[in-house]
Amino acid sequence: MRNSTLFLTLICCQLLICASFVLHARVSRASAGARLASNRELVRRLELTDLCLFTEARYTRHPAMADRHAAFQDHPMALEHFPSGSLVTPPDFRREAP
Amino acid sequence: MNRCIERHRNILDFALSSLLRRKGKNLSLLSVYTLIVFIIASIVFFTQALKREAALVLDGAPDLVVQRMVAGRHDPIPIAYRERIAAIRGVSEVRPRFWGYYYEAVTGANFTLVASNDGQPSVKSVFIGSGVARNSSLTEGDFLPLRDVKGTPVLFTVGKVFPSASELVAADLIQMREDDFRTLFDFPTGRATDLTVSIRNKGEVKTIAAKIAQQFPDTRPILKSEMLRTYDSVFDWRGGMVIVILSVAVLSFIIFAWDKATGLSAEERKEIGILKSIGWETGDVLRMKSFEGVVISLTAYLAGVSLAYAHVFFFSASLFEHTLKGWSVLYPQFRLAPVVDPYLFCVLFFLTVGPYIVATIVPSWLAATVDPDAAMRS
Amino acid sequence: MARRDGGPRRRHEVLTVIELIEVSKFFNAGKANQFIAVDGLSCAIGRGEVTILKGPSGSGKTTLLTLIGCMARPTSGRILLHGIGKECLAGCAVGDTVEITSLPERFLTSIRRSAFGFIFQHFNLVRGITVLENVMLPAYPTGESLHEVRRRALDLLETFSISRHAGARIEQLSGGEMQRVAIARALINDPVMIIADEPTAHLDSKLSIEFMEIVAGLKTAGKSVLIASHDPIVYDAALADAVIEMRDGRLVGGGTRP
Repeated sequence: MRNSTLFLTLICCQLLICASFVLHARVSRASAGARLASNRELVRRLELTDLCLFTEARYTRHPAMADRHAAFQDHPMALEHFPSGSLVTPPDFRREAP
Repeated sequence: MNRCIERHRNILDFALSSLLRRKGKNLSLLSVYTLIVFIIASIVFFTQALKREAALVLDGAPDLVVQRMVAGRHDPIPIAYRERIAAIRGVSEVRPRFWGYYYEAVTGANFTLVASNDGQPSVKSVFIGSGVARNSSLTEGDFLPLRDVKGTPVLFTVGKVFPSASELVAADLIQMREDDFRTLFDFPTGRATDLTVSIRNKGEVKTIAAKIAQQFPDTRPILKSEMLRTYDSVFDWRGGMVIVILSVAVLSFIIFAWDKATGLSAEERKEIGILKSIGWETGDVLRMKSFEGVVISLTAYLAGVSLAYAHVFFFSASLFEHTLKGWSVLYPQFRLAPVVDPYLFCVLFFLTVGPYIVATIVPSWLAATVDPDAAMRS
Repeated sequence: MARRDGGPRRRHEVLTVIELIEVSKFFNAGKANQFIAVDGLSCAIGRGEVTILKGPSGSGKTTLLTLIGCMARPTSGRILLHGIGKECLAGCAVGDTVEITSLPERFLTSIRRSAFGFIFQHFNLVRGITVLENVMLPAYPTGESLHEVRRRALDLLETFSISRHAGARIEQLSGGEMQRVAIARALINDPVMIIADEPTAHLDSKLSIEFMEIVAGLKTAGKSVLIASHDPIVYDAALADAVIEMRDGRLVGGGTRP
């Protein structure tokens, strides 16, 4: 079997796999719709504001509710929390009390 | 036309046998290349999926949340503010929210406690998230002891476990009745953690928020759009950890390309000379070299992207766990809806495949333009 | 230029395959270290003949070979190829005369690939690939079906009795075997002319004689052979039809062809 034939077959297989993943994404979207809807409903009923991503520390659990400078949550010498602090930027509040 | 195709195939054959000759080196190159693409693609899939999830799910979040600040820090808000806020035109409903955090010393986990009568939890009964259940090995009917402010353990029964499909919003949740919540935390009467405001006309949210800030200078209103914006910047490409990972990836890549670009070994140079002397044109030689580059980079790109997709959407990004977990004990299982953004993947393609092929061709250029009669004299 | 049989050359009997007219090749022209490799040389190479280029090193033999074999262009003069065969140039029929001095590089390469087969002094075989692939290599860019080329290559290896080495690497062969692989490679595109540069330089007497026997076989098959050599086994061989002697870039012992 020629090398080039083998290689081209390999590439075709890989492209097929990629194509099947694209298809999988399309299909999953439909089924994920139900899950997303029930989660949205739960969020609405319990009046939640954040995804449960970082449960390390209190102020990283609700980044949308947090103060601008998370490092000063507890006291001024408190260092930025890792890794969540380096992954999620502080919320961008447009208004404070005048 | 046929001849042209055959010619390219023949040259591809030679390029492949050329690569196979240095099997070890090329295999390790391929592996590292695939790894780099895998990491970058995984990050892309993960963040895109998370952002979409947040956008769709948090659509159910409150329109406005009013927090009270005392001495620059968050403090429980007087429920009495409720009437005055509800009186603002455009506000349809104001509800007090009771929620807080509970640190369980035994496992080291942080739970989020939410007081709500939704679903009718009975007295001293809790609905727990699947993460809590997993962490403390609890099922329906089991007992969950929580300590109150005096340190006395209070026993709760697990009434329901939230479905695992809700991990991303409820993994660490413990829902209980409002009176149980107040008793447990000895919560000040007449206060709530914060107030949620529902607004009839979504276009008026900013105006109403401004009015609230004006009427209650000790409060801070938080808009739903601001909550979502926080999630748009999750895993911000320009920030922190992601920059570190990307830089390492790009740097290792540059090292590889550099190695290729600056060193055409004497043997490779001689080989090109021989090819030219037996009748290969400069164009044929360059074609062969570029095929060498294409073979490796294309294989690596496709493999890296496929593996990344499987990693994120079939194995819930388990390789990121160590990076994302930090000190947390409770880590949600990410079952995300796949998102494929063609633009990002085109960019990734040109950023990885393009430079690599260029790095393969450029050093060969000089060698390929050598006069064929040089081979006669060597 | 002397003929072996001593008789005068009869033009209508011997067909010319390559004709050189006042060809010169300068290196570093106009600079202080200007070097004249070939100086106003005119000669004709006969079709189906074995022609030897004889002369000491530095006489310009190798340069002349590169000029004839379309590897380099002369600084001045003309080189004509007569009837060099199939598909050398688009629209060029068998029997046409082609002047290569003014052709663009792409056509030169195309001619070189289809009309000439080269045997280099150091063999110039590619290390790390098999003997078979080495023999097939010159045919890759022609766009011919690889299956066809492989068949021809195997036939050639058979002809030179080295087909058992088809899958072996070059490094595993002896000098004589490598020589034969080089010859097989030179023949893969069925060229009109074989050009060899000092083919016996790295061979012992026995292998040198074997080489000349192979050349005899090529002549019988109708190929023209041009060999540059300062080895007496080569230029004194009975096989040689014509000997062109060179010194300092010029012909020795004879003027231009009448």
